[in-house]
Amino acid sequence: MATVAIPAGRWTWVAPHLQARTGDRLDADAQLVERCLSGQDAAWEELVKLHSRRVYSICYRFTSSDAEAQDLTQEVFLRVFKNLKSFRSGEGLFVVWLTRLTRNLLIDHYRRTRLERATESLEDQAPALEENTAMMSRTEGMLAGREASELLQSALQKLSPDLRETVILRDLEELEYREIAQVLNVPEGTVKSRLNRGRAELARVLRRHKVRI
Amino acid sequence: MNCPEVEILLCDYFDGTLPHPQGIALEEHLAVCSACAELARDVEGATAFLDVVPVADPPAELLTRILHQAPRGAQKSEERAPWWRRLFGGWVENVLQPRYAMGMAMTVLSLAMLARFAHIEPRPLHASDLDPARVWQSIDDHSHRVWDRAMKYYDNLRLVIEIQSRLKEWSDQEQTAGVSGAASQQTTGGQGSEKTSGTAPPRQTPVQTNDKR
Repeated sequence: MATVAIPAGRWTWVAPHLQARTGDRLDADAQLVERCLSGQDAAWEELVKLHSRRVYSICYRFTSSDAEAQDLTQEVFLRVFKNLKSFRSGEGLFVVWLTRLTRNLLIDHYRRTRLERATESLEDQAPALEENTAMMSRTEGMLAGREASELLQSALQKLSPDLRETVILRDLEELEYREIAQVLNVPEGTVKSRLNRGRAELARVLRRHKVRI
Repeated sequence: MNCPEVEILLCDYFDGTLPHPQGIALEEHLAVCSACAELARDVEGATAFLDVVPVADPPAELLTRILHQAPRGAQKSEERAPWWRRLFGGWVENVLQPRYAMGMAMTVLSLAMLARFAHIEPRPLHASDLDPARVWQSIDDHSHRVWDRAMKYYDNLRLVIEIQSRLKEWSDQEQTAGVSGAASQQTTGGQGSEKTSGTAPPRQTPVQTNDKR
């Protein structure tokens, strides 16, 4: 397996209205990490419970597979257990460090499975989307949560990895632009540009399948 | 305001964090630029759709699996390795595993049983047996004895004897043929004929011919 490189974070100016929230998260996570490193078993459990949902959600939205998302989430936390010492609380948020770790693993996984995906028949995926579309056109009102989730999964797979990860991190995981920029190691303007292009592409895919948005 | 700027500023515009003058400029641009207006509509629609998508929760058993792999107590990497591991490396740990210990015990037992069946009587070890000179003498003596036995065994093999006797036969035949060829040449030469004898062997070594000449 390829190694996950975690470059040192680049820090930018933090807006005053975000400083309180960022400071709280910084302190809470830093304390939790300290407790983990000091050998408190309960701290590990707390860390996993607190962050496993986010990691799983990112993996699931990116891969669109529950089994792959579970495996990747497990792998992420294995790396967290091994490399937690390399996290420096003074250099940034634990959430950003963890998300960057997750994202790097996802990109490795994406590259590794590219050939498998290329050999998969497109017809295999089309029926699922068609079924969803038929279901959506039948329901005239607001989309039900689960149906919307399945439809989003199908649509997200049509986006390029760059646009997909940006949309997931902002619109589903609600990270700040600055945090996404640190995770992806790109300027904040690039994040915003990718995000809007991703959203627009997503809207076009959904509309193509007769979803009213 | 140009189109690339709009692509970036749309994020802050929909977040409600765009300063008022820039917001006015952006709206003025959207009013005259159909491509950017379409982009803004798509972005707004996709954002609204993403709002109704529920969070992807991990299954409960995933949490259990991850926690099962969590480190117990202080991280192992922080502990100082025992002296034997530092001295010999990781392979000693493998050798000291119960399965290898059991394997070695079974080997010793098997050898002991074989020695018993072969009527090899174990002799009690004395302190004088550990004298280096005596040890060397014993090794030397044993090695010579083993070599001699091996050579004797090899020489006594039926196949070896057959091959050696066959080689000897061929060698004798060639020698005999060489002698008779030289004799016939001398005979025909004495009669004044230049023709070679038809009875001469087809394969005649030049060495033997020269010797006879």
